[in-house]
Amino acid sequence: MKKLIFAFSVIFFFTQCAKKTIETASNVQQNQVDKSWRKMAPAPAAARDIQLGAYSTFDLANGLKVIVVENHKLPKVSYQLSLNNEALIEGDKAGYTSFAGELINKGTKNRTKAQIDESIDFIGADLSTSASGIFASSLKKHGDKLLEIMTDVLYNPTFPKEEFEKVRKRTASNLASSKTNPEAIASNIRSIVNFGSNHPYGEVQTDETIKNITVDDCVKYYNTYFKPNNAYLVIVGDITPEEAKAQANKYFSKWEKGTIPSFNYNTPTPVKGAQVRFGNKDGAVQSVINISYPVDMKPGSADAIKASLMNSILGGGIFSGRLMQNLRDKKAYTYGARSNISTDKLLGNFNAFASVRNEVTDSSVTEFLYEMNRIVKEPVSESDLKLAKSSTAGNFGRSLESPQTIANFALNTFRYNLPKDYYNNYLKNVDAVTVGDIQAMASKYIRPENCNIVVVGNKDNVADKLKKFDADGELDFYDAFGKKIETNNVALSADITAQSVIEDYIEALGGSAKLKAVKTLQLGMKASMMGQEASFETYQMAPDKYASKMQMMGMVVQEQKYNGVKASVGQMGKNQILTEGSELAEIKKQAILFEQLRYNTTGYKMELKGIENVEGSNCYKLVVTDPMEKQTTEFYDVKSGLLMRTVSASEKMTMTIDYKDYKAVDGIMIPHTSSISGVMPTALVMEATNVAINKEISPDTFKVE
Amino acid sequence: MNRFLIPVFLLTWISMAQAQLNKINFQEFTLDNGLHVILHQDKSTPIVAVSVMYHVGSKNENPERTGFAHFFEHLLFEGSENISRGEYDKYIEKAGGTLNANTSMDRTYYFEILPSNQLELGLWLESERMLHAKVENVGIETQRQVVKEERRQRIDNQPYGSFLEQIMKRAYKTHPYKWPVIGSMAHLDAAEEKDYKNFYKDFYVPNNAIISIAGDIDYENAKALVTKYFSTIPKSMKPIYRPTVVEPALGGEVRDTFYDNIQLPAVLMAYRIPAAGTPEYYAVSMLGTLLSQGESSRLQRALVDDQQKAVAVGNFPLDLEDPGVSIAYGICSMGTDVLDAEKSITAEIDRIKTEPIGDEEFQKWSNQVENDFVTSNSRVAGIAESLANYKMYYGDANLINTELQRYLAVTKDDIKNAAIKYYNNNNRVVLHYLPKPVNP
Repeated sequence: MKKLIFAFSVIFFFTQCAKKTIETASNVQQNQVDKSWRKMAPAPAAARDIQLGAYSTFDLANGLKVIVVENHKLPKVSYQLSLNNEALIEGDKAGYTSFAGELINKGTKNRTKAQIDESIDFIGADLSTSASGIFASSLKKHGDKLLEIMTDVLYNPTFPKEEFEKVRKRTASNLASSKTNPEAIASNIRSIVNFGSNHPYGEVQTDETIKNITVDDCVKYYNTYFKPNNAYLVIVGDITPEEAKAQANKYFSKWEKGTIPSFNYNTPTPVKGAQVRFGNKDGAVQSVINISYPVDMKPGSADAIKASLMNSILGGGIFSGRLMQNLRDKKAYTYGARSNISTDKLLGNFNAFASVRNEVTDSSVTEFLYEMNRIVKEPVSESDLKLAKSSTAGNFGRSLESPQTIANFALNTFRYNLPKDYYNNYLKNVDAVTVGDIQAMASKYIRPENCNIVVVGNKDNVADKLKKFDADGELDFYDAFGKKIETNNVALSADITAQSVIEDYIEALGGSAKLKAVKTLQLGMKASMMGQEASFETYQMAPDKYASKMQMMGMVVQEQKYNGVKASVGQMGKNQILTEGSELAEIKKQAILFEQLRYNTTGYKMELKGIENVEGSNCYKLVVTDPMEKQTTEFYDVKSGLLMRTVSASEKMTMTIDYKDYKAVDGIMIPHTSSISGVMPTALVMEATNVAINKEISPDTFKVE
Repeated sequence: MNRFLIPVFLLTWISMAQAQLNKINFQEFTLDNGLHVILHQDKSTPIVAVSVMYHVGSKNENPERTGFAHFFEHLLFEGSENISRGEYDKYIEKAGGTLNANTSMDRTYYFEILPSNQLELGLWLESERMLHAKVENVGIETQRQVVKEERRQRIDNQPYGSFLEQIMKRAYKTHPYKWPVIGSMAHLDAAEEKDYKNFYKDFYVPNNAIISIAGDIDYENAKALVTKYFSTIPKSMKPIYRPTVVEPALGGEVRDTFYDNIQLPAVLMAYRIPAAGTPEYYAVSMLGTLLSQGESSRLQRALVDDQQKAVAVGNFPLDLEDPGVSIAYGICSMGTDVLDAEKSITAEIDRIKTEPIGDEEFQKWSNQVENDFVTSNSRVAGIAESLANYKMYYGDANLINTELQRYLAVTKDDIKNAAIKYYNNNNRVVLHYLPKPVNP
């Protein structure tokens, strides 16, 4: 749902974007007197020292560490409560800690959710909660009121069941839409191949794990970890340390401490050789490439600053990073190519990434690896290093405008046990980095020989060409949630052809004689969409009549009729007659009873692509092109012969339909469950309520007027 | 490369600026060539925002050449007589700075944020852009392609991405607000190099611009530098084209349906409202806050929480120089009929016309406005833009300190009267966004 809301909060009234071109010489005639002084960019004035603001800190008796950053520029104060515990292994309940975090402000012993909203809005404040803490801010004069609500939420959350179910539903919608989101798929695969599923960073939420979560899990997380000795309270803004101390004592001293469990995690085995990890997205026009592996670099370690500058040269900057220069400016493979290297208390990671056109997927991987090799082998130039330094120093300087930056520095200093003057010396340490340091960092942390090359894209167009990058020459395939698909390389026996797959399918349905005897087919289905029930009726009559109707809450939401010549399409009471065009062609196709019977006729083309795993069973994959040149990828079960999945891509979306639960109706196998994904935020699961074959249908059903 | 789109509501608040509690001091003067200069000193961080706002937006365009204002926002990064193509960004990045630009119906805005010792570099770059930018075919060809990609990515390929374009073309019949800022791709294709050169000569002149600088500066030094780089740029002797057409009243409800690649239907209702800065505009703007700011606002509570007819609702006025529109919208929850959602939104609006606003709700609303004001001027880049906006639209940069009074002067009766006068059915465009039919 997030996307939709985002779309509306964004204005199109301002359009803005980047320009970027290739350099050429220029000469426009001079039309003024002497402008020669303009020829060169002016030199900078003497730089002012960058001063870091101060912070103060104290502890409460219950172990809560308080950090105060005094800044009187605006009459506002923010209170951030940050938990300090390590990430947890959530196992078959992956996602429960974030559920707990979301629920903390959804009701307390004293206030309903509506009352919390009302009282926060009344003072024009913000309040948000997560698994890692609570954030609140308001004008200074409302500080006491805000703290009263914030601590009510902190001490008295009730985790109401109905709010819990709302969170689960919302998460389920997000998971459904992430199944078709290539970045999300790549991120899931990356987590698992980098860290392994026995590491907190290698866990992925799935439909199953969120089904396992209970309110009790949330309460338990809250009861164990929301403790003062596991938290920092960061107070920033128009407040003196004395005032802050008084407030902290008044509102947080009665918070009772607890025992916080600690864990040790095994370091995952590093990846050996380059390994291509492929996530298939049928119909994709772009490939998402992530070249990634874990990196053991702790925050504040001697390498952190040097490695960050090295990465800035490789894949940072606005336009200046080498990946950007090469893949975008020189080769025009992508809109943007970048890399990151992260420090982490447990384990960090390196990731170089871009989205590229299908045709250049392998060439892009080549260029990524080329740039990774180059920075390891060749020393960088002084001017590259200088640019990285000034860009880093500039970002640092600009970030100081926000007092929150100082607060974050203080928090990091405690959390990662950094030297007290770490940030004061930051720019000095940036400046001291040498060309030799950069090369040392590259040799240590850039590993083109031992990396995960995660690619999510269109398997048929892209995968084969990636084999050359893989150390053992075999690609590994993963599903959308990063689960390895083991049975992907089943060999196709020579006597199987596209033709035989379709013949087997027709046989499995009941045989061509029976199918040809079907004169009408009527199908009723129901589905639940975000808590509402929808019903669907479709009517087909040989040779070419079709009608469908979708109803919700007793109202007809969408209606289509096709009389063999033209169609009418109605939506919310508005009707449109179609006499030509792609929409009509689409409906015409729907009208065909058992289209597979025609696959061997002129106009249809079929290609057998191999065997692939669809939700646990091996299927023949067929790409079918119909006479209108529309392509559909179809998956027929090897064992039963039945159609399990179809995937059809249009310019703007890829629709996947899964067919399950086949039952015989008058001797013909009809799928009683079909699940449509890719067109709506959540998958639409339709269950058959009635199926009637050769029952009389009134001709009026197909009447177009 | 990441020029972000600015959320509408944010924009409103950015332009509203400062609470009375922390006054923004500034100095201003005008050069002989007409360039207006505004300076604000804030030495707390050694950075400086350098910005130039040109008083040209899509409304100044020739109806046969729409999209020019926005096109120039792209073109004017191509370089100048002294800056080679593609070098503009690099100067900024090497200096440790960042840059951005954006275009609206009323103005075009460019800015850099730099370490304060690089103020002069920013002035050089901006003065090069104003004096002799490169407006020639090679850059024009490149940017045509880029703008087309931009249109596909940001409007055509984005759910509801076309909503403003679809609303404005129905809300206006004669005024140039009827065409979109991004303009017509056919117009851009048809235009020749000389059309572009003329547009540059007509609008990119000092007497049509405001330079606004905020941050770690010394006033005298900044004045001297601005004078050095800008005072020799010749002013334009031609009058600058500003449309004078007054859009007649809508004269009855306009109702239409638009089919888009979306999953959930949406209803958009655009009410024609007075120009930004007028007393009634403030009342209309407050009405929007009452309806949709915060989880406990009227539309949010009614449509999202209680009736669960919508997954998102809102109301925001476009603060335009000429009379604009205020848009109320709802994205329907699954299974909600779009008419049903429309009726519920209209019912909430009607309630403001008939039922008295409670004291507590009125107080909530004042508190929210105050909080938004205080928050809006936390960065020097925002202050530079607000000062330029106030000067350009209302001729008074000091509104950055005083505009809050105008909002707080709005009474409950003013809100009610604004609702009755402007939020009525004869004064609105109702647009239903429906999913393009997909066969289940």
